[in-house]
Amino acid sequence: MTKDSQPDLIIVGAGPAGLSAAVVAAEHGLVVTILDEFPEPGGRMLGQFHEEKGHWWVGKQIAHNLIEQCCALGVHIRCGVSVHGMWKNGHRWVIRTSDGSITAANVLLATGGAEIPQPSPGWTLPGVMSIGAAQVMTNVHFVKPGRRGLIIGVNVLAMAIARELSVSGVSIAAIVLPSQSPLSGKDALPKENVEKLLGLAHLAPSPLMRMGGRAAHSLKMAGVVTHYFPRGGIKLWDIPLKLRTTAIAINGKDRVESVTLADLNGRGEMIAGSEREEKVDFVALAGGLYPLAELASVAGCPFVYIKELGGHIPLHSEEMQTPVAGLYVAGNITGVESALVAMAQGQLAATSICRDAGLLGSQSDTKIAEAKQKVQQVRASALIQFHPGIPKAREQVYKMWAKGCDCVENN
Amino acid sequence: MERIQNHPILGRWQTPREPVAFTFNGKPMMGLKGEPIAAALLAADVRTLRRHEESGHARGLYCAIGHCMECRLSVEGKGLVRSCLTPLEEGMCISEGLQLPNEITGRKLL
Amino acid sequence: MKHPSLVICRCEEVTMEQLEEAYASGSCTSRQLKMKTRATMGACQGRVCRTLVETWIHVKNPDGPRDAELLSYRPPIRPITFGQLAKDEA
Repeated sequence: MTKDSQPDLIIVGAGPAGLSAAVVAAEHGLVVTILDEFPEPGGRMLGQFHEEKGHWWVGKQIAHNLIEQCCALGVHIRCGVSVHGMWKNGHRWVIRTSDGSITAANVLLATGGAEIPQPSPGWTLPGVMSIGAAQVMTNVHFVKPGRRGLIIGVNVLAMAIARELSVSGVSIAAIVLPSQSPLSGKDALPKENVEKLLGLAHLAPSPLMRMGGRAAHSLKMAGVVTHYFPRGGIKLWDIPLKLRTTAIAINGKDRVESVTLADLNGRGEMIAGSEREEKVDFVALAGGLYPLAELASVAGCPFVYIKELGGHIPLHSEEMQTPVAGLYVAGNITGVESALVAMAQGQLAATSICRDAGLLGSQSDTKIAEAKQKVQQVRASALIQFHPGIPKAREQVYKMWAKGCDCVENN
Repeated sequence: MERIQNHPILGRWQTPREPVAFTFNGKPMMGLKGEPIAAALLAADVRTLRRHEESGHARGLYCAIGHCMECRLSVEGKGLVRSCLTPLEEGMCISEGLQLPNEITGRKLL
Repeated sequence: MKHPSLVICRCEEVTMEQLEEAYASGSCTSRQLKMKTRATMGACQGRVCRTLVETWIHVKNPDGPRDAELLSYRPPIRPITFGQLAKDEA
């Protein structure tokens, strides 16, 4: 057996959490292999950028720095390799991949998140894609998703990616509300969306204020009397944000040709006769993100449901341990947050792994405490916050952990 | 669809990517070596990557990161692949995923 | 407004109307809906519509326990060829 087929630590996912963890673990002398099914390392960070205090935060640069550090430390990054299962053989995990099995004493799952769909009539037509797909095509592969598109769904993810697409030169006709169905619930109502966005704007420091500048101000004015929110929408950067417009249907024969839109009154009722067709050749659906935790389930980890964190998450401690020996988690698999939080979580997870492997000696308490504190600091100052209730929700998870597994679901 | 040559924030591709020839449903096309097949097809304005196996409805790229399986299509010598994750190579013969016959419902294909 | 033909599960083309029918005939957990309609049983293994099915059933019965029967995850969780499996066993 070569060193390579039997590393000390296998990390699944070469995104912000996985790469950051690999650097810390390798610095402490662990032999680390990272697996990722995307053709290049970096995860979704590769396509992310936003403006912060007058300069651009560019995920791709951060990813490249981390990859360089990994290479210098001898971390083996294997891309284009899919993990399809895992099981414990004695004290070692066997990770089954599309390119053979490898084993390790410890596994860190940093598999990130997946998108929640925003189903709309006609959403199976070619040209309708998740908003993340539009981001990846534009900012990672440098191919525009279409000539002119419409975004359906209003949330932090939609706002952040709409801005990226616009900066990248992709024409966006508007951001509109999804059509009403039992699934869209309050997401399809103008008042609730104004309140949701205002809720975000009230965060200190406020992401929308910083992301949207004056747009957030006009939103605030609009929110005072929801039914006065202009039917034509307001401009967020140069994109019309239409909180009183709903997408009724996506039309076309074998590809998107148009979307039927209609206006809503302040109570969310459709205004008769307001239906019209907007010509677009692609539609990006923004339903938000949920933690992608399939492997944790396969590995036998119990789950808890925490709405604020994006749904079902593997039970874990503040130190990123799971109840399953030798299994750790970091990043969006533990709850949907920004790349910077994922990076700090990755560092914390690796510190825990090194501590549990007896590599930190007398420094272990200090190092763990420092890494934990860093996660809290980054979380508190994160520009992009997916849910205002995250810190409280995190506390809830750690309480469940402290109580033991009696309060959780078995999957 | 248009390729972005010089991205306003991300700049140019670090090392120029080599153009390669491939075919889609027998039609000759050009793409860039190593980019996902789905990106090359999008750049060539191909939206339909597959027909639903049962209904025959047209389907295209949906998630672009290997989660949804919507973009699966057939590459000669490789079988069905997720085109969003499979790097394009020179000379690939690619064809869209097909509607299938169904022994149970008795549906036959022409 | 009603969307009788709104597709929920893309892989198996299961519509909201079919979920309604299944619910009316007694399927009242996400697992039962899956067994009745094949929603979440397609090529993506529910990665796309799992959250929709769970939310839909929760909206139907908001006072009941959240996810009384959680949908399972079963390996292989990614597509794999017999060749790749064979290589693994060799």
